[in-house]
Amino acid sequence: MIAGKTWREIRVTALAYILILEMLAIPVLMLWPDIYADLQRSTLFRSLGVDWIKRLGSGISQRNEEVAYLNWCAVMLFFRSTNLVGTAISVLIGTGLFAREREANTFEFLLARPISRSSLLWQKFWPCALVITAPIFIVNATAIPWSWQLELDLPKWELFLASAHAALFALAFFTLTMYVSIIVRVQAHVAAIVGAFAVIQIGLYLTQRIRPYSLFRLVDFDWYGPIMTGNTPAWQMFDPIRSQGFTTYLIAATVLLYTLSWRAIHRAEP
Amino acid sequence: MSDELIHIAGLQKSYGQHHVLHDINLSMHKGQLLGLIGPNGAGKSTLLRCLVGLVPRTSGKLSIFGHDPATHSLLIRQRACYLPGETGVYHQMTGASFLKFALGFYPNQSLERKDRLLEQFQLPLRQKVRSYSAGMKQKLALIATLAPDVDLYLLDEPDRALDASVRFYLRDELRTLKNQGKTILLSSHHLSEVETLADRLEFLLNGRFVSAERLQRARAQLHRQPRIRLRDGHAMPSGAKLIRNEPDGMMVVETNNDPMEWLQSLPHGAVGSAEVGIDRLEDLYQVLLRDEVTPHCGVDTHPTDLDAAGGDQ
Repeated sequence: MIAGKTWREIRVTALAYILILEMLAIPVLMLWPDIYADLQRSTLFRSLGVDWIKRLGSGISQRNEEVAYLNWCAVMLFFRSTNLVGTAISVLIGTGLFAREREANTFEFLLARPISRSSLLWQKFWPCALVITAPIFIVNATAIPWSWQLELDLPKWELFLASAHAALFALAFFTLTMYVSIIVRVQAHVAAIVGAFAVIQIGLYLTQRIRPYSLFRLVDFDWYGPIMTGNTPAWQMFDPIRSQGFTTYLIAATVLLYTLSWRAIHRAEP
Repeated sequence: MSDELIHIAGLQKSYGQHHVLHDINLSMHKGQLLGLIGPNGAGKSTLLRCLVGLVPRTSGKLSIFGHDPATHSLLIRQRACYLPGETGVYHQMTGASFLKFALGFYPNQSLERKDRLLEQFQLPLRQKVRSYSAGMKQKLALIATLAPDVDLYLLDEPDRALDASVRFYLRDELRTLKNQGKTILLSSHHLSEVETLADRLEFLLNGRFVSAERLQRARAQLHRQPRIRLRDGHAMPSGAKLIRNEPDGMMVVETNNDPMEWLQSLPHGAVGSAEVGIDRLEDLYQVLLRDEVTPHCGVDTHPTDLDAAGGDQ
């Protein structure tokens, strides 16, 4: 019942989310030949001391278009589109999940139904989780046929791995928002708290020396680029001991935040 | 086997330093209708929320259907329907879709009761709930609460925002439910309607049930408060003080001694009419509200000690 209601509430947002992601992806992919030509002519980017630009430049200077294209896709499809839009949609959907129920006096109505609070949380969570993660896989999968138009191949497995990582980041951010939505009663306050957190994280990321302390370090080009080019195999994504294992951190964060949400919903009062 | 549905012993509920409920003791049996009366902020809603497991108690014992709401809230909610004091309906839904959603949680429903309520309330079910008035939203919430066929109904101000005719219909519907053996705990501010409906009343003041002794004192005080209408040109006689003027022109006065003796001592023709010893719930409530309260006991609304006496002199 509640899952169906949740789905009906977010289905329009879900459609808009897919369209936005796709609209951001198409020009990135289809304009690649022009962009590639421009990059080959330009010398400015080669002198910039930023890792991902160096890698992109390396692919271009070595006349290896496929490597350059993969790095370009890693930057534009994941680092730009899914991080930006995924975070925004997570905040948009998550803020109202419980706080809006409180504001509309329907939280007490829901709590009084013959349904456990665990079930209430889960039935609110999974449709949102699906709406946030599935479009990332769907839209990035459409990059494959779009690339065929340019006679370029995107590796399916690597694209899937990068999409999985991006989806897990969005899911972790959504779970954080959901947790705040349970413990904070006003939707605008939830948005302000999570929004401020995101802005601070972006601020940290944009400051060179403290960048490693930003959560966005987990989903930047230096992570997606090697995945897309096949230099970071799946085991390295999930192994935080012998490798960086950032994906495991995201799974752990999601599980931790869901557990906190579970605890909070069991303690919540109307 | 005992048919006690609700058993509360020494219930306390606090929010930090703010004590909402103090030493609440209550027992309700199957088929009873208990009226819970108290001013705003007395703790009525908190008590109902404790019963259904929505808020945890601070201390004391609580048992509904033999289950503790703190640990078996779901089992209780499967057999009890709770109408919150704040009407909670989804504005983006139509009336019909809200009812479908709300009733979908209950496998057993009384379709007959649902149809009867729908027919009486005449709600535009195809319209979005956001277009409903406050009364219409309350009617919708009432259908969602009363249509499920459960054993216990906990109703927090069900007559809120309803006009008189709908309130009278609701009263009849609750009486029908009671006759069907359902147990009802009802909180309301419409004292006269609760009085006619309830088997028993509990006054909740400042988080405590009013004690039997306190009720007796209040009744005694009330019996010293005749309603009189003075004839034109006559001043307030001595031996009594004015409590209040009523809208119908009567005055409520408190006598120092027996009101009958006081009335008989008045000069002939001074009083046009008088009522003595009419034990009205509204008046009792007013007396209780004016004073401090001490621990518990309820009042039976249909006993011999509530018989009214009085009339024109």
